[in-house]
Amino acid sequence: MRAVYLGNYFVAGCIAFSLLGWVASLHPITFRAVLCLLAAQAIGWGLSWLLDFSLSNLLKISVVDLQALLIGGLAMLLIGLGVFLCT
Amino acid sequence: MHLKLFVLSASSVVLWLAPLTALDKRLDIHKALQGVSLTAAIACAVSAGNIARELFEQGEIELIKKRAITADVVDEISTSAYISQQQRQQEAELILTSPGVDVEESRKVLEAIYSNDLQDSASPNEHPDYHIYLSVCKSREAGKSTTWIVENILKMGGRKFSDGKVKLQTLLNQFEEEGK
Repeated sequence: MRAVYLGNYFVAGCIAFSLLGWVASLHPITFRAVLCLLAAQAIGWGLSWLLDFSLSNLLKISVVDLQALLIGGLAMLLIGLGVFLCT
Repeated sequence: MHLKLFVLSASSVVLWLAPLTALDKRLDIHKALQGVSLTAAIACAVSAGNIARELFEQGEIELIKKRAITADVVDEISTSAYISQQQRQQEAELILTSPGVDVEESRKVLEAIYSNDLQDSASPNEHPDYHIYLSVCKSREAGKSTTWIVENILKMGGRKFSDGKVKLQTLLNQFEEEGK
């Protein structure tokens, strides 16, 4: 059951990134806004990798869990945007 | 609950992939439909995730309960075994150390107690007066008088004394016959 609930949240994340792609495709201004958002996310993602130990203390989760979350987030982005762009 | 979970999971995937592949992105109406469908898909996936997490937590609690019950039962069994062993040891020591009692008689009493214990362990329906009989035996070995036994063990003093005496005799006859 743990795998089912984690899988559902993963699918929700993928759909959210597809929705972000859909929002970006509406207008050039929204495209730039989404681009900015993705850039901010990329910076946050990189900083999280660099500060993983202090961040795990702050969030009160283990470092392994934090790293799994970061990798899962990247996979969601790639799958979500990939599905939107390839269809 | 499981059916709802699987329906929500499947519908979220369908609502995500079907409009993106089937509808044309250049048409405004199709684009709007895609947006609505993606929003609905997110809602379905999050609901399914919440339901699955609830089920997972319930399963964890059930597992913990089961483990606690098993540990309780094991503890109960080991405690009762320990207590019964101690009780037997105390009875044996009391009989062997009581003054003025013949060794052969003590051996017979011990034999009777142990054989009764074995019978009791074979059948869970223990005789209700057996504990009283054991107390009577102990008191007699400790040199207590019949009057004391009737008043303090059978709790039949005063007007009930004569009935108590009869009951004591009946009790002794009953269990001593069974011991032989």
